[in-house]
Amino acid sequence: MKWNAIINFLIKSHLGLPLRLLKTILCGTLVLSATAALAQGRSFELPIRAHVFENGLRLLVIERPGETRVVAKIFTDMGALNETPGQYGSAHFLEHLMFKGTPTLGSRDWPREKEIHERIQRAEDALEEELNRARNALRERGVFHDYQHQETTPKVGELRALIESLNQQVLELNDEGPMEKWYQAYGGTGLTATTEQEYMKFDLDLPAERVELFLRVEADRMQNTVFRNFDAERMILVEQRLGDLNGNATAYHEAMNALVGRSSMVYVPEGYMNDFGEYTRRYEQGLYERYFIANNTTLIFIGGVTLEDMKAKVEKYFGHMQRRPEPPRYQGKEPLPTAEKRLTWRSDSLSPRVEFRYQIPGVGHPDRPQFDVLKKALEPHLQSVLSSAGVAASVDINTLVVHTTRFGVPASFNIEVTVENAVQTATAESLILDEIRELSEEPIPEDDVALARKILRTEWYRTAADPSALAFEIGHFEVMDSWKTLAPYLEARDQTEASDLTRLIHRYFVAKNRSVGVVVPEGAVQ
Amino acid sequence: MIVKYLLVLPALMFSSLAIAQDLTHPTKMDLPESGFSRPDPSDYQISLDNGLTAYIARADQVPLVTLSAFIRAGKVSDEKEGSAEVLLDALLYGGPEGQSPEGFKDVIRLMAADFSVEMHDEWTEISLNIPKEDLDIALPIFSALIRSPAVTDAALANASGKTEAEIGAVEALSLSSATFALADAVERFYEVLYADHPYGRRPTVEDFSNLTVDDVKDFHEKFFVPGNMTLAIAGDINEAEVRANVRDLFGDMRATRALPPRQMPTIEFEKAAQHTFPVKKLQSWLVIGHELPVVPLEDQAALDVMNYILAAEHLHARMLTNTRVLYGYTNDASGFLEDRWFGPGSYTFRSYSRPEVIRPLYEEMMSAIGSMQTEEVTAEELFIAKGALRDGTFPIRYLDGYSTARDFAIEWLRYGNHSRSASYTHRVGAVTAKDVSDMANKYMRTRSMQIVLVGEPANLLE
Repeated sequence: MKWNAIINFLIKSHLGLPLRLLKTILCGTLVLSATAALAQGRSFELPIRAHVFENGLRLLVIERPGETRVVAKIFTDMGALNETPGQYGSAHFLEHLMFKGTPTLGSRDWPREKEIHERIQRAEDALEEELNRARNALRERGVFHDYQHQETTPKVGELRALIESLNQQVLELNDEGPMEKWYQAYGGTGLTATTEQEYMKFDLDLPAERVELFLRVEADRMQNTVFRNFDAERMILVEQRLGDLNGNATAYHEAMNALVGRSSMVYVPEGYMNDFGEYTRRYEQGLYERYFIANNTTLIFIGGVTLEDMKAKVEKYFGHMQRRPEPPRYQGKEPLPTAEKRLTWRSDSLSPRVEFRYQIPGVGHPDRPQFDVLKKALEPHLQSVLSSAGVAASVDINTLVVHTTRFGVPASFNIEVTVENAVQTATAESLILDEIRELSEEPIPEDDVALARKILRTEWYRTAADPSALAFEIGHFEVMDSWKTLAPYLEARDQTEASDLTRLIHRYFVAKNRSVGVVVPEGAVQ
Repeated sequence: MIVKYLLVLPALMFSSLAIAQDLTHPTKMDLPESGFSRPDPSDYQISLDNGLTAYIARADQVPLVTLSAFIRAGKVSDEKEGSAEVLLDALLYGGPEGQSPEGFKDVIRLMAADFSVEMHDEWTEISLNIPKEDLDIALPIFSALIRSPAVTDAALANASGKTEAEIGAVEALSLSSATFALADAVERFYEVLYADHPYGRRPTVEDFSNLTVDDVKDFHEKFFVPGNMTLAIAGDINEAEVRANVRDLFGDMRATRALPPRQMPTIEFEKAAQHTFPVKKLQSWLVIGHELPVVPLEDQAALDVMNYILAAEHLHARMLTNTRVLYGYTNDASGFLEDRWFGPGSYTFRSYSRPEVIRPLYEEMMSAIGSMQTEEVTAEELFIAKGALRDGTFPIRYLDGYSTARDFAIEWLRYGNHSRSASYTHRVGAVTAKDVSDMANKYMRTRSMQIVLVGEPANLLE
């Protein structure tokens, strides 16, 4: 049904409208069908005011005079991409540790506590040395996840007991909820933190006149975090990982992620059980010191504040920080794909499905915005192809990898088709591949592409209506590419035409760039 | 040389003073009072002669508009069981009378609309978010849908089919992830709580076979009337035009008053009991709680403060400290006050953990609950909770035009006035430590807690 069908819909149903109103609506509708095309030229310009301090700290403000609250976010350009093998999830763990307070927030007797932390560090160093000695004495060291050599020596046991006893001593000196309780007390809401592959961020929404509290706490968190309760907090990672693994599809999706990427850690989840026990204070401190520096940080505010006011306040709390050496940036370059890959997953707890993943470029590449349009246009198109062929299926297209749908490094375009039975997986696979082949020559109808653009535009407005979601998008672009490319990205989506989508399909949806996953019941013949 | 150093030294000292990190404690920062004051509902409200009340707000940050209707009728309002569920299906999928469901679906799709109908036990929310450019189309469709939804045999068959599927789903726990599993455990708790109560009654397939389209239309005609409904419209609008359109589209509805609520029996458990639902998963889920009687106005603020100190959702609170921060038993343990409009609600504490620590987790949760009844809260706890409620969770109910209009529309529908929201910050400010203790003893009954455990069986009451 097209726009003229809407008019028919209104005329046919009358909707009990007074004639005067019906006429207004119909005029409006006719105008609307014409303006739908004009709307493509809409500007996505954001009134962001920016300042970069001498130490490299970036400040981005959207001023909304009269608003009584302000959304505040602090982004650090680091995440799981900066971890090393064997320490996966350590960036996420660092985020947990950064809630544990500082010498001035969370301690009832810092001089005493400090001394205990120094003893813990010495004990941990000794424990690491002892563990390494025990491991290195073995010719074959833990070659598989379910096999562990006896790495325990009497000294290991003693050191672990010592650390546990010192942890208890620290607890007695701690003041719980060291940071969040003050945010709560002064009207802060939406207090969260997130660590993904490319960033760590802390969020708050608070009364605008109290924005200084955010700066006071975050500058302290960024420079003076104390790793309290390190070992108990590990168990929270275990709980979170168990929660992920309870999902029926998690293991399958992780296997698909691993199938697609060759070298990029964008495909690695936030830690495995066998990594959690390996984290050390020393390693976490290394990440903390390397990346939590002024010239790797962006502050974002949206609400009842001004740039001028924020510049002075930020200077007060962050101005003492010195510019430090630029930390290493992850490039995430993938080797050229050379062959189609295939995974067969047998499970009775997942619906049968066939999935196609194609590696696509990250944000910053000119083709990336058009993939968003392709997703919106292709999903109903493929749904209709399957439906016309009599296959009862549900098509979901996404760019999800682990938890995130956009990256500044290569990721994947995923076409997931859930069907009713194992036999239909083959039918659906064949139908989808035939259609993709066809669409690499014949464009998707322009009306469908126009609707896809409209859906994306509207979804963006929904995001922009929420200051927290908008601040996240600005910060996310800053860590993926640059906040300055957010508006051009949105504009590029809005100018995408059917011929652009044909070009994408032709270029990227080729066999050697494809990873196929097929889920069938246990025991099904495939 | 010495002179040179003498000149440099003060400069260095001054410089180090100028660049020192400001680590003033938050309580010593002299943070100003919050500038928030609740918006005045009369700035948004229009009242039609037929009894309909609407709240209209301009919010032009983005070119979108949200239309919402709130009706004081839900799943337990129908006299003929199943009518509400069929009406819900008709509203969601059928569109206005005289049109095909496919046509309605296409209109929604072409507007890129976000359309939802949420039917609770006692009230219903219909919401349509659309681009500003489509408002002229959307408003009459929205009005027609509310006034004359297409109630058909197809809607009846759909609702019946869904009920059959839901009965199947209830028998087999879904548990597809930690989040869903906790929601499943909460559902099990409601089943226990409302086992013999009208709130727990759900239609059967047989109910639908005894139901006619006319029964559903009767239900709609009785409840979807001006005095029993409010509207909230907000976004990038011309307020005067929208007010006029609301009068045009809803003004000729027959005048009615709000309908009296259905009388609901109370619930009271006599003793604690455990209800175990074994499933083989990596974690176990725990819901502890009991009924919550209808809370009178004079208790509401103190009860909120008490719950915040005990178990504010995933924030610094006694329960999270006891379970997560100190021992790493769980990722979350929080409390939920869920009141109902006309009858008993629930007060629950929810958590989850690896099965081997479910017992200490339960014990720590109960210990936190007990501490509220036996130990007076500290001045700091009171300061944090009152500040959080007064300057945080309450103001964000009025964060933008739509949330303001929506909040007022629901408040008017439920109470017929705005006095509760007008006095809330004052009432929170007046709460004392003794009030908190009184609320803990009045609204938490540790001896009759119902414990729902979904996961590996463990006897928690022994």
